[in-house]
Amino acid sequence: MATYSLANERLRALEDIEREIGAILQNAGTVILELSKEKTNERLLDRQAAAFTASVQHVEAELSAQIRYLTQVATGQPHEGSSYSSRKDCQMALKRVDYARLKLSEVARTCEQMLEN
Amino acid sequence: MAQQRALPQSKETLLQSYNKRLKDDVKSIMDNFTEIIKTAKIEDETQVSRATQGEQDNYEMHVRAANIVRAGESLMKLVSDLKQFLILNDFPSVNEAIEQRNQQLRALQEECDRKLVALRDEVSIDLYELEEEYYSSSSSLCEANDLPLCEAYWRLDLDTDSAAGLSVPLPASPEPSTGPLQAAAPAHSHAGGPGPTEHA
Repeated sequence: MATYSLANERLRALEDIEREIGAILQNAGTVILELSKEKTNERLLDRQAAAFTASVQHVEAELSAQIRYLTQVATGQPHEGSSYSSRKDCQMALKRVDYARLKLSEVARTCEQMLEN
Repeated sequence: MAQQRALPQSKETLLQSYNKRLKDDVKSIMDNFTEIIKTAKIEDETQVSRATQGEQDNYEMHVRAANIVRAGESLMKLVSDLKQFLILNDFPSVNEAIEQRNQQLRALQEECDRKLVALRDEVSIDLYELEEEYYSSSSSLCEANDLPLCEAYWRLDLDTDSAAGLSVPLPASPEPSTGPLQAAAPAHSHAGGPGPTEHA
């Protein structure tokens, strides 16, 4: 999963946006909770409200940028690349190693039998 | 600035719908939050009694808070859809991911083959000694015309009879090209020849 660099950056950015959306809702709740108190802490209120507004604008800007990038990059065609051939070659190499191990174990068994006899 | 390519209508419609959803959800969050703050203002003059006004404000705030949460949930769904669209349609990153995977698998395959070749070299030395011991002992049943296996490995221009005799000492291998040791036999006769992969 951590092997993709370019794709991971954009996906990580989207995950950060998800966390920020949660923070937006939390800020909104904190502001309303603070307003409901008899003695409101004005500084906290202003700070939370400013954070709420900034987060909303940031999320909107980031998501717009992602959609703009996808509009430029998407072709509408399915991607037909695959790593099947190299995977098959690697699989065959591992099969060769298993076969060699099997044959060596047979030879070792034969030698042990000869030694016992 | 990159020019926008002509996308199929479905993709373009989809991206436009993403934009619309984003704008609507952000507007919903901001508007509902602003209205909640406005409703929190205490007014002295009301058309109905204070209790009724209080109940109405309470209900309105509940509904607006639910709207904010719904818009937030819709934004999360939008982000999930964008992630899916990115994975499927972001060709530069998909190409890079495929290339990296191919490199990893090729490196693993080369490592396996390199170790097999090293193993082959070591085993051939031990096999030579084993055969010397076997053919010189009284338990050997070979005739005078049969070549020892080690001799057969080192002969470059074997005739077909010698080649037929090559498969005799390894009865467990059904085909001459599948086993690494047997495949290494003609390859080993070439100086530093390619491994079993090339022969297979």
